[in-house]
Amino acid sequence: MYGFEALTFNIHGGYLEAIVRGHRAGLLTAADYNNLCQCESLDDIKMHLSATEYGPYLQNEPSPLHATTIVEKCTLKLVDEYKHMLCQATEPLSTFLEYITYGYMIDNVVLIVTGTLHERDVQELLEKCHPLGMFDSIATLAVAQNMRELYRLVLVDTPLAPYFSECITSEDLDDMNIEIMRNTLYKAYLEDFYKFCQKLGGATAEIMSDLLAFEADRRAVNITINSIGTELTRDDRRKLYSSFGLLYPYGHEELAVCEDIDQVRSVMEQYPPYQAIFSKLSYGESQMLDKAFYEEEVKRLCLAFEQQFHFGVFFAYMRLREQEIRNLMWISECVAQNQKSRVHDSVVFIF
Amino acid sequence: MAVKEEDSHTQCSEAGEYEEEEEEEENDTQNGEQNEKRHHPLDDRHALQFLDSLDDYLIQMDSLSSILRQGWLELASARHSMGASRVNGALLDLKFHNASTSLRVTQDDDDSGVGKAHFTLSKWASSGNGENGSGEGKLREDKSPQLRHRSISPLSETPEKTSSQIGASLIVDEQVQKERLKSLSVFGTLVSPKLRTAQLSFETALGKLVEIANTRSTLLSAFDQVKEEIEGTKD
Repeated sequence: MYGFEALTFNIHGGYLEAIVRGHRAGLLTAADYNNLCQCESLDDIKMHLSATEYGPYLQNEPSPLHATTIVEKCTLKLVDEYKHMLCQATEPLSTFLEYITYGYMIDNVVLIVTGTLHERDVQELLEKCHPLGMFDSIATLAVAQNMRELYRLVLVDTPLAPYFSECITSEDLDDMNIEIMRNTLYKAYLEDFYKFCQKLGGATAEIMSDLLAFEADRRAVNITINSIGTELTRDDRRKLYSSFGLLYPYGHEELAVCEDIDQVRSVMEQYPPYQAIFSKLSYGESQMLDKAFYEEEVKRLCLAFEQQFHFGVFFAYMRLREQEIRNLMWISECVAQNQKSRVHDSVVFIF
Repeated sequence: MAVKEEDSHTQCSEAGEYEEEEEEEENDTQNGEQNEKRHHPLDDRHALQFLDSLDDYLIQMDSLSSILRQGWLELASARHSMGASRVNGALLDLKFHNASTSLRVTQDDDDSGVGKAHFTLSKWASSGNGENGSGEGKLREDKSPQLRHRSISPLSETPEKTSSQIGASLIVDEQVQKERLKSLSVFGTLVSPKLRTAQLSFETALGKLVEIANTRSTLLSAFDQVKEEIEGTKD
């Protein structure tokens, strides 16, 4: 049940909630996307974005532009906004905001470890890391040969340390171990974030529980589909599913034994919120599944702004910006490859 | 009278000679026409081969262009789905490893004895099957002795041979699938189906490139032959 957030929230969180609601108003609209989808070149996209909040970040970029450059600069804007909110936040909002970045940290750790395994230069890998997931000793990851060393040398002093207890082994790192490590870490992170939000209580707990449960369910579906035809056993697959969400535990049991996309569909259609998602797909098709999930996620994230005095708006804003950056990436790639007819395959309108 | 007879006889003989000459000329003309008719099929054959190869070449180039466009878009779609940190060039493996696909160039002689290059692609050849070439090559080797025995063996043995062929093809398919997953593992073990689709597109494009190379070799060989014939006709 909700507490009396309305009485006390604005003391510490009022300013930042106003800031984030102002940022939300700056998200691109359907009209902006329509203009962007009609661009003939990346310079046209830059010209259209110059009239938005991304203008200052792109104005100094020389031609010819590349799609990755547009994505990098748009990400820098998100990073600046996040850092401003973090430095203004007090507890427990500052911890909540830090939790949002742990997912990026996990991705960066896996990127560095995988790249090192493939004998890539560390500097080159650091340039590809997400800025929100950077930490001080990240470059030292290249030294580790197995997960035990990874933990002992580097990660013990990072916020990811508690998530390593389930996957510490002395086995040398290889592609399969790294993938299992990635998913195990992310599972532990989601469960920890879920418990933290439950501890906060009130509107934050209710809204974040819904959003994180959806995230856990989507990950379960993606893990299932991506592991079809691979060497990942059913037991290993089941271990990667989170211990919460609408699909926990019976849906997970059924997903663990699925061998094709149609079996996944038959499992998911038993749950009404996901029935609507899978009804948009034809049998045997999984190409549009990502877009269907993103659309559902955007709908839930926008609903988070309908309520006040909770931390869910910060999480929702970060995720909506990520979706916007994904949209811009897709539009840029379609324009660069002269495939504008396919631009609406993956663009998800936010408003 | 005798003179007149002689003159008439001379005239007759001259006329006869003239007629003979005309007949000889007609015969020569007819022989020439027959000779020309005898040469036409060869000229047409090489010219037709050249034009046919050119048509194939253009169609294959167009097909390659569309396959590559599709592949690049599928790769972008995979990057959109999995995230830029999971699908990027910085993850490609720089360690020494055997090539999963190799190209062999041989010199073949066509009907007119002209040598031309022939390209053969061996896809997904694992290190264990190095001597046998690709898994597909291994399947070919398994098939041929069974085909030779087919005419001799009784009917009851045929279903066993068929099931063994199916079993062999399934084994090859599994090996190919494993090799495909192994090459994608640089991006992680659990990759999106979109990335696998992109891989198939680029694999098809590679096969198409080899087909184009063979067609081009045939095209150039046919062109050389047509050119030789034209130069021979001028001489």
